[in-house]
Amino acid sequence: MTTMARTITVEGREIALDPEGYLVSLADWTPAVAEALASEEGRALSAAHWEVLTVLRDFYQRYEAAPAMRPLVKAVRQALGEEKGSSIYLMRLFPESPAKVGARLAGLPKPTNCL
Amino acid sequence: MMLHLLNRSPQFDGLYWDLSEAFGADDHLLLIEDACYAALPAAAASLAAFGGRVSVLSEDAESRGLLGRLSDDVALVDMAGFVALTATFPHSLSWF
Amino acid sequence: MQDDEAALAADTPIAPLDLLVILRHPPHGSSWLREGVDVALVAAAFGQSVGLLFQGDGVFALVEGQRAGPLGQKGTHAQLAMLEMYDIERLWVSASALRARGLTPADLMLPVQLLEADALERLVHAQPHTLLF
Repeated sequence: MTTMARTITVEGREIALDPEGYLVSLADWTPAVAEALASEEGRALSAAHWEVLTVLRDFYQRYEAAPAMRPLVKAVRQALGEEKGSSIYLMRLFPESPAKVGARLAGLPKPTNCL
Repeated sequence: MMLHLLNRSPQFDGLYWDLSEAFGADDHLLLIEDACYAALPAAAASLAAFGGRVSVLSEDAESRGLLGRLSDDVALVDMAGFVALTATFPHSLSWF
Repeated sequence: MQDDEAALAADTPIAPLDLLVILRHPPHGSSWLREGVDVALVAAAFGQSVGLLFQGDGVFALVEGQRAGPLGQKGTHAQLAMLEMYDIERLWVSASALRARGLTPADLMLPVQLLEADALERLVHAQPHTLLF
């Protein structure tokens, strides 16, 4: 079970986060929550970010799991085309770790198959 | 050539069947833990698919009171023999 | 699809993979199946070539029409659907296990290759690393 470590306030709602900053309850997610989580990290979400977050949410909807890096690249390639379906492109959008940062912002659990 | 290790009693007949499908002509089966019961003469049918290429770990058979009751078709192997077997076969696979 | 479901001919060579995972347990009743698939996914996420062999009650993992348990417990069907996203495309099924359970490839949610006992034996012997769940 995920435990709450802290909360952030988004549009007057208290949103519970786990120790690694992922949502405790996935149902809490709204686009405004993603914006708030991103601005905490000093990121502004562009249209390019949003289309990847949409791919991530679709992936979770379909497979009930957040993807590791390889399947994320494959899913982005299928949805957004060859040019964007590359790890370099995703690393530019979400430096550090696209699979982990993207899952967090998209309101998914931490990907379990990527260490 | 493959050494198969099996640790469940013959009442898990589905496991014995799955193992038999993967068992090759140069393979060997070592019965350990509860699989020792398969070496009783009354359980001979459970080992029929393995062509007599079967050993049982004597320490595990002894602790279950089975020494002296086992089928002559199954060779007794002690821990040192177990180690020697794993060295003889390039690959081993555990079934549980 | 029809080709995938054909039985493996006796003389077809079987290339070694980095990892073969044998799945023998059905969904929902224990965590064996989920753990086995997890291991396969982790290996694939790290770029290893991975194949799955369904034997015994493991073939029930592939049955079409699975869903969450009555209390909302996650099944493994979504995890199996995800295999292709991890490029795990070699799925072998024991033909005898399927027959013994009254199933045919048409009952399964993914295209698979059926293995009779001789081909199954060759597959297992061709693999340097096999894990059983």
